Amino acid sequence: MTTSLAIDTSTSRTTVAVVKNGNVLASLHHDDPVAHGEILPRLVAQLLQTENSIDDVVIGMGPGPFTGLRVGIVFGQSFAFARNIPWRGICSLDSMASEINVPRFIVAIDARRKELFWAQYENGVRVNEPQVALEKVVERFALPIYREGDVFPSAAMMPGITGDIREPIYIRRPDAYPAPEGVSFRAMNAMDIVPVASLEKAIYADEDPWSIDQFKEELALKDRYYLVAEKAGVVVGYCGAMLAGELADILTITVDSSLRRNGIGREFLKRLIDWARNKKVEALMLEVRVGNDAAQPLYTSNGFYPLNIREDYYGPGLDARVMRKDL
Amino acid sequence: MSEPLVLGIETSCDETAIGIVRGRTLLANVILSSVEEHARFGGVVPEIASRAHLEAIHSVLTRALAEANVSINDIDAFGVTAGPGLIGALLVGVSSASALSLALDKPLYGVNHLSAHLAVDALDSSHELSPAIGLLVSGGHSSIIKVSDFASDVTVLGSTIDDAAGEAFDKIARILQLEFPGGPAIDRVAREGNASAIDFPRGLTNDSEHVYDFSFSGLKTAVARYLQKVPNAVVADVAASFQEAIVDVLLEKAIAAANAFGMEELIIAGGVAANSRLRQVAAQRCAESKVRLRIPPMPLCTDNGAMVAALTSLALSHGVPSSSVGLEAQSSMGLSHVFWA
Repeated sequence: MTTSLAIDTSTSRTTVAVVKNGNVLASLHHDDPVAHGEILPRLVAQLLQTENSIDDVVIGMGPGPFTGLRVGIVFGQSFAFARNIPWRGICSLDSMASEINVPRFIVAIDARRKELFWAQYENGVRVNEPQVALEKVVERFALPIYREGDVFPSAAMMPGITGDIREPIYIRRPDAYPAPEGVSFRAMNAMDIVPVASLEKAIYADEDPWSIDQFKEELALKDRYYLVAEKAGVVVGYCGAMLAGELADILTITVDSSLRRNGIGREFLKRLIDWARNKKVEALMLEVRVGNDAAQPLYTSNGFYPLNIREDYYGPGLDARVMRKDL
Repeated sequence: MSEPLVLGIETSCDETAIGIVRGRTLLANVILSSVEEHARFGGVVPEIASRAHLEAIHSVLTRALAEANVSINDIDAFGVTAGPGLIGALLVGVSSASALSLALDKPLYGVNHLSAHLAVDALDSSHELSPAIGLLVSGGHSSIIKVSDFASDVTVLGSTIDDAAGEAFDKIARILQLEFPGGPAIDRVAREGNASAIDFPRGLTNDSEHVYDFSFSGLKTAVARYLQKVPNAVVADVAASFQEAIVDVLLEKAIAAANAFGMEELIIAGGVAANSRLRQVAAQRCAESKVRLRIPPMPLCTDNGAMVAALTSLALSHGVPSSSVGLEAQSSMGLSHVFWA
């Protein structure tokens, strides 16, 4: 005999329920996109008047707007802590999907910036990890899309959904990434070619580094866009991209190994995306070496998704993963 | 009958902090800072701070209970910072406290962060609580506060009209290419410098409309202009002279307030209270003006949970009603709300 308290604040709807062995003893919800913090305690206080003896807590872990999402998660965790009972997290999209009866469909929550948090379902089962993508990209799957408003997470259904997710499903990194301190960014010019080529040689010694002449040629081409990052007058990184018809392709993003994880690569990527948007291309492409796990999260968090693998792209046995970001 | 056991939660900025007190006795004060995660951005990033609070809060809670050697079931009342602060960060603490209070059926007090900073002085129980002027100086606040009674009568006499004092330290440290946070860095470098080398401006010192207000943006500009004009300036002299200007104006106004309102005590709190020059000059000038100087120990000066527990404890002893269920977090809460109903 288990009595569960279920909580979800991943959408504009705050939903709570007490469910005993599949029987819903009480369920309440309130719609307000910016007041989860005030609403949730009131709803739970009401539920506890119906049933105060709770055995576990089931929490919707997102994806969803971060501030509201965290209210439900920390509330559920603290409630479980105080009562000394277990909690488990489930994917909020799963509880939205639980009431839909078509064979194949997509569930999506507004992620702002014309993007959606979404996942695909087949016969009621989620077939991919929740992710973020432009609305028009999700629409291309040509499957029925059930959005927040068409359906909402339902706390009453949550205890019946499997899962034991321990971390919030944020998908996106924190928005606010200011430019790295003390580093300036500017267009690459002829004076940079020597230091850039020597950085190239130091970093890609085993991967056929570009020579000074190759950089010279590149810089002379019209459809190219190269930037350098400079710290205290020294070139510490560079990046480049090219236009190719309706697409743009990132050719390189390189940062001095002693200055990685300082946001320089992120700033390069941001500037390349801005440039590509201005050029009105359909999408920005890039290749990343399979196994380069350090770079992958930067790309996925900026909306790049994997397309295919190019074998031996960086030399024998060194495969590249092609990634695409729709603009 | 023993005094009530109170647990306080503070998550208004980048510290996840929980303190436990019994009456006026401190039992635990656990603080986990995400300052290192913000250091590379030269300031606090709200979403990073909020994520860090959620990750940390239950381990901080566990440690605080262990430090106080009590169980969560022993707690008689919960307190939480309801504002002012970063809304996403505040909501983590408020939601956690709401859940603890509901799950255990114990009262919850939403308290004002600024009042709590000064009320922490109550934890020195050898000391009679008396009306005081509070000088609250941190990265987020610079205020002169009149405390007639912690539980009922706390008013702001003046605040900064632009940057907070701690913010000014951060910004000047950045200009001088010192590390973040700037307060400790400038304090250290200034010890080697001449504080009267450069006469930087003291903002709003002769302004009858802003008797107890502060302005530090003019000082910041003056330092930047000076460095442009004198590119090979001695960093230690610039740091010391800048620090002197801030310390001078903070204390001049705080002591003037104590004199004007007949307060015999000055409480200095907030992170900038760690500044060695501020402490030194405060001791001198308070002695001259016959004002008792109170500076809580450093772990109680920077953001902490014990101060929230201390103020909640005072609320209980004064019979202040607890907050209602669904307590709201308020990013710009004014001091008219010492307790949030």
